[in-house]
Amino acid sequence: MTQALLSVRNLRVEFPTRRGTLVAVDDVSFDIMPGEVLGVVGESGAGKSLTGTAIIGLLEPPGRIGAGEILLKGERIDDLPPERLRRIRGRRIGMVFQDPLTSLNPLYRIGDQLIETLLTHTKASAAAARRRALALLAEVGIPAPEARIDHYPHQFSGGMRQRVVLALALAANPELIIADEPTTALDVSVQAQIIALLKRLCRDHGTAVMLITHDMGVIAETADRVAVMYAGRIVEIGAVRDVVKAPLHPYTVGLMGSIPKPAGDAPRLTQIPGTMPRLTAMPPGCAFHPRCPRAFAPCPTQRPDLKPHGSAQVACWLFEPAAASAEAGG
Amino acid sequence: MSAAPLVDLKNVGRTFDVSKPWLNRVIERRPRQFLAAVTDVSFGIAPRETFALVGESGSGKSTVAKLTVGLISPTAGDVIIAGVSMNDPRRRAERQRLRRRIQMVFQDPYASLNPRRRAAAIIAEPIRAFGLIRRRADVAEQAHELLRLVGLDPADGDKYPHEFSGGQRQRVAIARALASRPDFIVCDEPTSALDVSVQAQILNLMRDLQDRLGLTYLFISHNLAVVRHMARRIGVMYLGRLVEVAPTAELFATPRHPYTRMLLDAVPDLEMTGRPRKPVEGEIPNPIDPPQGCAFHPRCPFANARCRAERPQLLPAGAALVACHGVEEARL
Repeated sequence: MTQALLSVRNLRVEFPTRRGTLVAVDDVSFDIMPGEVLGVVGESGAGKSLTGTAIIGLLEPPGRIGAGEILLKGERIDDLPPERLRRIRGRRIGMVFQDPLTSLNPLYRIGDQLIETLLTHTKASAAAARRRALALLAEVGIPAPEARIDHYPHQFSGGMRQRVVLALALAANPELIIADEPTTALDVSVQAQIIALLKRLCRDHGTAVMLITHDMGVIAETADRVAVMYAGRIVEIGAVRDVVKAPLHPYTVGLMGSIPKPAGDAPRLTQIPGTMPRLTAMPPGCAFHPRCPRAFAPCPTQRPDLKPHGSAQVACWLFEPAAASAEAGG
Repeated sequence: MSAAPLVDLKNVGRTFDVSKPWLNRVIERRPRQFLAAVTDVSFGIAPRETFALVGESGSGKSTVAKLTVGLISPTAGDVIIAGVSMNDPRRRAERQRLRRRIQMVFQDPYASLNPRRRAAAIIAEPIRAFGLIRRRADVAEQAHELLRLVGLDPADGDKYPHEFSGGQRQRVAIARALASRPDFIVCDEPTSALDVSVQAQILNLMRDLQDRLGLTYLFISHNLAVVRHMARRIGVMYLGRLVEVAPTAELFATPRHPYTRMLLDAVPDLEMTGRPRKPVEGEIPNPIDPPQGCAFHPRCPFANARCRAERPQLLPAGAALVACHGVEEARL
C-alpha cells in the first residue's frame, strides 16, 4: 500500500474561553492518498472548515490544535515553526477559499499576484514566472490571458475570479489542494464550470484535493471518498458511492433524505428534528443522540468511536455487534 | 389554469437609473444610464397555487418579488391582485385593504428581524398595524397561537432574535408573515441561508401551512431541486425576462429553452447516474448592456442570425410558454 499523502491523526481543535475550553474538532482522523479527492461534508458548525485551517496552520487565535498530529508524506507539519510552515503552504499545499473576492488582493493586478507566488515558491526568473503565469491563466480557462493578466480582481466576474484563485493555488504545483466551499458563492452554471475545471486540473497534475462543502451534490460529482462531520467529529467515512447510495450513520441517512431530489416526487422531505448542538452545550455520549430516531441504551452515555464497517467506517452503536445485539435482546 | 388568477402580472417592467451624478455626466460627457432589471414579465398565480421563479443572480427574480408585493413600483405594466391594480391611483382605498392579504418572507432571517424586539412583539406588529385585534391580551394570545403554528413554543415569544438558530428565526419570520392572515405570500429565497436539514424542516412547514390555511405562494429560488419540490408551475428567468414558463413535471421532463436545458444540466448529479453532460458555456452578460436579439444568444449552441437580431416572444409550446426562435421554428 502506498503511503498516504496527508494523514490526520486524532486532531483536536479547541478554543480556550473564560468559562472553560470549547472543543470544536474532536478526535478527527483521516488519510488522503496521492491524487485522491476527499470530500468533507457537514452543516454549519460541524468543524469542517476548522479541520482545513488547522491542517494548513491558519487557525485564528485563540483557536489552537489541542492534540493530535498532521503528517504530510510521513513528516509532521503541525509542530513546525511558522517560517517553515509558510514554505509548505502554497508550495506543497495550495488553498482555495469560498469567496474569491477576499482571497485576492484588490490592490494588485492578478498577474502580479501570480508572479509573486511563483517567485516565492519556485526558482523561476521574473520573465519565466510571467510566462508561467500566462500559461496558468490559459489553463484555468481565462479568455485572452495576455490582456487579462494586467487586470485587477474587480474587473473579473465571480466565476473568473475563482478561476484566478485556482491558478494561484496551482502555481507552485502543490501535492494537495484544500478547497473550502470553492463554489458556494457561485451560480449553479458557473459552479458546474468550476467543478469540471477542478476535476480536470487535479487529474492532469495528479493533485490530491480535500474538498470541504455543505453541498452533497458537489461531493457526489467530484469526490472519491467522503467524510461526514457532525458536531466536530467524523461520523462516517467511505467511498462516495456507498455514502450517497447506502448511508450507514443515522445522521447521514437524515442528511441525504433532507435534500430535495431532482427526480423524486415525495410530498414531504425527511427532516431531522432539532438543530446541531452548540459547542457550549454538547450532549454526552453520541452528540447526535437527541436528534436520532434510532437512539438506544448506550447512545446517551457512551461515545461511539469510528470503527470499520464493510469498506466504510462509521461511529455509531448500531454497527457495533455487541451493543446492537443488546438492543435486539432488550 | 381554470380559476381566475389571484395574482396577475401584466407586462411588468422596471428600469433603474444607474447614471453617475450630474456633474460627472457633464464633465465626462456621459449620457444617463439605465438598467432594465425586469422587462415584460407576465404570469398569473391561481388561488392556492405555488408559482416559482428560478434564475441565476442578476436574472431579476428578486425585483419581481418586490414589484409583486409593492415594495417598488413598476415602470411599465401592471400588477393586479384579487382584481385590484396595485398602481392605479384611483383605487387607493381598495389597495390599502388588500395590503393585509399580501405578505413576504425574506432570504436572510438575520437581517429581516429587528434585533431589539422580542419575537412575540415582532409577530404582533402586523396584528396591531392592521388593527385586527384591539385587546392587548388577545393580541398576545394570537402571537402565542402563531408561534405554535410554526412549530415553536409560546414561551419562545419572550426571546430576542439572537437567541434563535437560523431555522427558528425563519419560523419567526413566517409567523410574522401569517399574523395578518394573508392569502398570498411571496417567499424570496426563504431557505438559501439555511443548512440542508433545516431547509427540509422549513419547506415541509411551508407546505403544511399552505394546505391548512389555503395560501398562495410566489416562491423565488435559485435552487432547482427546491423549486421542483415546492411549485406546481415554474418560470425561468434570464437577464430580466421570462424565457420559459411550464408546469413543474413538464419543465423537468422536457425542458425546451436552451437556457433551461443548460441550467438543468448544471445541477450536480446526486444520483450518480454518470449521465453525459454538456459543458456550460459563458456567464450572464452585463444587464446594463444586454446583447441584441435574444439575450441568451452569445451562450446558446443553437443560435443563428435571427436569434442575434430579433428578440423572441413567449409563445406556447406544448404545455409550456417558451421564448425561443429555435423552439418556435421547431428546429430544437
